[in-house]
Amino acid sequence: MKITREEIDHLAMLSNFSLTNEESESLGQDLENIIGYISQLDELDTEGVEPTYQVFEMENIWRSDEIMPQDADREELLALAPESQDNQIKVPKVL
Amino acid sequence: MKYEITIGIECHVQLATKTKLFSEVDNDARGKEPNSCVSPVDYALPGMLPRLNGEAINFAIRAGRAMNCKINGQSRFDRKHYFYPDSPKGYQITQFYHPIIGEGYVELPDGKKVRIEHAHLEGDAGKLTHFDTYSLVDLNRVDTPLLEIVSMPDIHSAKDAHDYCKALWRLMCFAGVTNGDLYNGNMRFDVNTSLAKPGEPLGTRTEVKNLNSFRSVERAVEYEVKRQAKLLDKGEKVVQETRGWNDATGETTGQRSKEEAKDYRYMPEPDLPPLNLSAEFIAKQLENFPLMPSDYREKFAGKIADDTLEILLDYPALMQKLAEVKDAKRVSNWFASVLLAEEKSAEYLNDLPTAKQLDDLAEMTEKAELSSTGAKDVFLHLFDPQMKTRDARTIAKELNVLQENDSSALEAIVDQVLQDPACAKAIEDFKNGQEKVLGFLVGQVMKASQGKANPAAVQPILRQKITDR
Repeated sequence: MKITREEIDHLAMLSNFSLTNEESESLGQDLENIIGYISQLDELDTEGVEPTYQVFEMENIWRSDEIMPQDADREELLALAPESQDNQIKVPKVL
Repeated sequence: MKYEITIGIECHVQLATKTKLFSEVDNDARGKEPNSCVSPVDYALPGMLPRLNGEAINFAIRAGRAMNCKINGQSRFDRKHYFYPDSPKGYQITQFYHPIIGEGYVELPDGKKVRIEHAHLEGDAGKLTHFDTYSLVDLNRVDTPLLEIVSMPDIHSAKDAHDYCKALWRLMCFAGVTNGDLYNGNMRFDVNTSLAKPGEPLGTRTEVKNLNSFRSVERAVEYEVKRQAKLLDKGEKVVQETRGWNDATGETTGQRSKEEAKDYRYMPEPDLPPLNLSAEFIAKQLENFPLMPSDYREKFAGKIADDTLEILLDYPALMQKLAEVKDAKRVSNWFASVLLAEEKSAEYLNDLPTAKQLDDLAEMTEKAELSSTGAKDVFLHLFDPQMKTRDARTIAKELNVLQENDSSALEAIVDQVLQDPACAKAIEDFKNGQEKVLGFLVGQVMKASQGKANPAAVQPILRQKITDR
């Protein structure tokens, strides 16, 4: 399956990646290989088969609605951000 | 109108669970510091896994019941990918393919039905504040549980759009799943509007996002209808787009085009096992399900005037109280005419008098132990922090508003008034057929009794005594 340069650029845009020419080329090639490999599955007739959500066959896992102490406090978490201001995470202007 | 209007509405309801949808931190960030209700899960630190809040499932089931919806035993979660700083994960966990709530309907007060397509659980995004060259991110709201309710395009006027949103708000409040604070965005509406000539296929729709009041929903639809009609009249095309609403100017404006559905790259959420709820489990969640507005309308039909009821139906706790008291008609009138006329009425409604207090007050009024003015006075004092713990009779005594009905006591006061030389002329006049003077004499008795005589009981005594003289 051919991945076009436009598709790579579009995917990069959606993920907010800036890619160099070389990166776009090589990533496109990688993606083509990966999708080509997985496309072998297209040979199977999956009509009417439910997609697999998970392989552990668990269901109905939930917790009670109780506030629990957390392992990290605000200061520790904010310290992980490249920049913070007024107890908030500071990011470049986005629109 | 030469165009038919078609409207569908998506509504995001913030569920009032104690903790967030996927982490065990406080879900109520009102008045709290930025990023103070945040866990490593909300930060999407590597290796952190979401843990589903069982109460959100319960709330979704109750909300579904309120909208007469099918509850889907089997539902799952999916990832909706997008890049924006309001979501550290880079995706929102939602239910794209298998929502928990299926088809149902919401009935408007005039009996029209708006079908619900489905409703699903998802996490809210964080809050961004924009400055000149940067933005600040507060993650307190990240993964607050939302129920997104999607209507069918069954709405055909701005007024019905307003009524649908209001009906939905009431249902969610009565079901007890949200705080329903519209000002703080507890319910947000996205409105899709399109126009078409009668008989023609649906026109291109626009979506006005993030409306947080019924009035702005109504105004936004009115504006969109006018704007689209103008374009169509000129033979131009409506562009399918997301538009923002400006409450100050009353206009909608085009916004940056959003990603298409395929750009969200939906995929099954591998960190959350699917739900497979049994019929018994669902029935258990619906035990003690409260009455809904339509139930109250039925219950109080003929007892409470329709227009009064429509005002009171904005207050679920008040309606519950009215269902508990014996004389709902009398008590509802006090609430409608006395309390809701006062400022800060909503504040009063947070802490209602007991049914016993209200029953006693109604009974005392019924037996004419209180005048209507006296009853209102006692009623208001049932909300007084100093007095509210006392029973109604004690308050009436303290306020000195109990009426004198005892006829021997009243007769004594009437005698006293009739002997007053100042009343001699009035008595003469009355004897000469001037009925109006009786009002003056009743007034004198009231005065002599310090307002405690029951005027209705005084009148016949006065008549009798004057005739007997």
